[in-house]
Amino acid sequence: MRTYVLRRLLQTIPLLVGISLITFLLLQLAPGDFLNQMAENPGISAETIEAMRVRFGLDKPWYVQYAIYLRNVVFHFDFGQSFARHQPVFEVLSDGFVNTLILAGAAAFITWVLAIPLGVVAAVRQHSWIDRALSFLAFVWLSVPEILAALLLLMMAARTGWFPVGGMRSLDYDELDGISQFFDILHHLALPALVVGLIPLASRMRQMRGSLLDVLRLDYVTTARAKGLSERTVIVKHALRNALNPMITLFGYTLGALVSGSFIVEIIFSWPGLGRITLDAILTQDQYLVMGAVLMASLVLIIGNLIADLLLAIADPRISYD
Amino acid sequence: MTRIRILALVFVCAATILPGCRRMAQESVEYKDAIAPPEEPLVRQVATAGRHGGRFVLGVTVNPKMFNGLMANETSSRDITRLLDTTLVRYDNAAQEFVPELAKSWEVAPDGITWTFHLRRGAAFSDGHPITAEDVLFSFQIAYDKVLHPAIQDLLQVGGESFKVSAPDPYTVVINTLKPNSALLDTLCQGGLSIVPKHVLEAAYKSGGFASAYNVATPPEKIVSGGPFRLVQYVPGEKTVLGRNPHYYGFDQHKQRLPYLNEIVFLIVPDQDAADLKFRSGELDGLDNIKPENYRWYEENQQKGDFTLHDLGPEFSSRFFWFNLNRVQPPVRGEKPVAGKKVGEPFIDPVKYAWFSNTTFRRAVSMAIDRDAMISSVFFGEGEKSWSQIARTNKEWHNPDLVHDDYNPAESKRLLASIGLIDRNGDGVVEDPRGNPVTFTLKTNADNTMRVATANFVKDDLAKIGIRVLLTPVDFNTLITNLRSDFQYEAMLLGLQSGVPPSPANGQNVWRSSGETHVWFARQQKPATPEEARIDRLMDEILTNQDRAEQKRAWKDLQTIMSEQSWLIYLPILKIKVPVSNRFGNVDPSIMAHRILWNAERLFVKRRDS
Repeated sequence: MRTYVLRRLLQTIPLLVGISLITFLLLQLAPGDFLNQMAENPGISAETIEAMRVRFGLDKPWYVQYAIYLRNVVFHFDFGQSFARHQPVFEVLSDGFVNTLILAGAAAFITWVLAIPLGVVAAVRQHSWIDRALSFLAFVWLSVPEILAALLLLMMAARTGWFPVGGMRSLDYDELDGISQFFDILHHLALPALVVGLIPLASRMRQMRGSLLDVLRLDYVTTARAKGLSERTVIVKHALRNALNPMITLFGYTLGALVSGSFIVEIIFSWPGLGRITLDAILTQDQYLVMGAVLMASLVLIIGNLIADLLLAIADPRISYD
Repeated sequence: MTRIRILALVFVCAATILPGCRRMAQESVEYKDAIAPPEEPLVRQVATAGRHGGRFVLGVTVNPKMFNGLMANETSSRDITRLLDTTLVRYDNAAQEFVPELAKSWEVAPDGITWTFHLRRGAAFSDGHPITAEDVLFSFQIAYDKVLHPAIQDLLQVGGESFKVSAPDPYTVVINTLKPNSALLDTLCQGGLSIVPKHVLEAAYKSGGFASAYNVATPPEKIVSGGPFRLVQYVPGEKTVLGRNPHYYGFDQHKQRLPYLNEIVFLIVPDQDAADLKFRSGELDGLDNIKPENYRWYEENQQKGDFTLHDLGPEFSSRFFWFNLNRVQPPVRGEKPVAGKKVGEPFIDPVKYAWFSNTTFRRAVSMAIDRDAMISSVFFGEGEKSWSQIARTNKEWHNPDLVHDDYNPAESKRLLASIGLIDRNGDGVVEDPRGNPVTFTLKTNADNTMRVATANFVKDDLAKIGIRVLLTPVDFNTLITNLRSDFQYEAMLLGLQSGVPPSPANGQNVWRSSGETHVWFARQQKPATPEEARIDRLMDEILTNQDRAEQKRAWKDLQTIMSEQSWLIYLPILKIKVPVSNRFGNVDPSIMAHRILWNAERLFVKRRDS
């Protein structure tokens, strides 16, 4: 197992180098650079822009820029500076990263806390009205685009005043005590987390239902029933444990998509996460910030997939990586 | 069932927290001014004497990038440094004139080049350290630094040579501008040369770290500034909070220290629509950038929402399109010669160049555009015709009686026919005498919906006089590359912001034939036409003549030439309306930046019963 993990981790290195090279190339192919934004301002002369281009190193050919970048990352663990913010990329991204994790974590919590019990209920009461109602709702929600759901909820918030219209904290946040601060963030978190969390709910619920139905047909379940166990014990102790197996893999992959999955909703709800930072960076061609954001999202994706594979090995003794 | 429980929990949270938030925003602790007033305070006349306390929340869509007033280049940062930093003089947006700020007075010697500024005694930065001529000299030193090259550098030079700045004593600064310079004050007011604290920033400057000093990660208490406000907090993606600078040297006429407000919050919202929702739900006190299609909603809901929609008149910028008249020039400064083109050849098809370079053609195009129809559709009725860079809201420099070519399709067709452009084969498109159909591509940036909509209008109107336009919205960066370096376009539609203060001297780069933004033929080595040579001379006159009346006459002549030549074909501009909550006093929004907060130090929260 240990060698397997080590091998997988080593494989990420060429992968990340490849991703960074492709990202860098794409950024170079885009017309213009960061400084072009200033050209519309008649108050800034061509000399000023040229001086900045030299200061930022943008006057060098792309392969030289990339080589310098790679060297700094490998030898100094320095991911460069954001042009716009005059601040190390790492610093800019770390704030956003934490906020994105909060949102994605809450969303994942909503998804799984709802998906498993609802899936079980639907499977146990197969073809009942509750099963039908749940499938209906699941498909309706599945077909509502994320953007539309987010906008509708935002309008609801503005109209009713029940929820804040986007953002992560109230203006008075710093004057609140610890518990109120927690509830304040929760209050702001509710709507975006609901949107991000409910999107995968439909498919997770259906998968849970299907998986449990498969197991319920197996002989050992009949045996358990024949032993005279209560229906509750049969389902929770015998059937559900086996039915959860594929769900564990899915959970691992959810971890991988955590960071990048909520970008659009973050932007709509002004959630100060990586989504906004990345979008701004791409729009202004703040190249090292884009590189940093892409590498960070890739790393999380790779590690998430690794965890998914490992979880599977732990949950299912038939799978072994050695 | 779990879902219901969670929803119930969320609703409980909502019910408990919301009322709390609202109440806290209103109440504030009474402010006690514990600092002795300076020897020579700045006294600002206020319409209504305010009281200390309260907070103003403004919605903005972009994060500030830095708090370094000398290095910041974009609006989101400058809107904030404008309130943090002190400057030698101040431009009063309402009166449209210069008033004292750090300099209590100034004079220019009869030679027209020696300016003496008398600094206010007892003025101090937000950490209590006195502001003296040392700090002014230090700020100039940075402005002139060759490596840092702040954008202001070029404005503080004449012919590449820096002004001579000296300080005979700690409260006097003498600036020798080498040649008469009527635009000096423009570069020394807010938004111009920030006066930064030498005792804080000298170390960073000497170690080569000035460009990243006062960045967004600097702890706010380390950001010392001399203006009415200081930085209190910056949370990326959420808000920037400015608090009162307790050492600010400004007072109202009743000896109350300014600013009145405890805090100004720049709340970051993702876009104009989100800002709109936030204003409607009462989370914002002001917005200075709402969409024209929403003006009506704001107008109708003023009473209900307890706010006022201030009508500020047409915006301080222009919208126009022009034809590419750039020609290949002898290469300079190690530039590569243009491949496949000889010096003197136009960058565009010579056939089209022949049409575009004809003044009659350009005037005919201008007459084909139905600007009234454009205003009622694209601008939702909230537009105004404009015939120059300077809108009528500019009290000092606007010329109401400028000649112009407004909508007149019959005359337009007659003009085209007079230069041999007529529809010879009956296909609805006019041809030149050699049979080339008159058609061109019009570029604009795709992300600006207003520009794309106006460009579409231009296309339809020109089709009516037989000119076929191909509209190509492109990425902004591509557009700038086309505009600045490769000149690969036939016609382009853009706009230009006018600076604050809005003097024509700010537009030098546009009018001078050698200018970078002399868009139709940029960076000319020598004026291409006699008219452009005359414009260059008029620009010199505006800059060097000390007599305002003479400057205005020169400016009018310049605009008349521009109008007659129609190099830039002006389109309507937008009327600006900004909503501000009625809770505040001394609200006097201006068309110039910063629209709502230009007099931030005088804003105050009214008593609830009054």
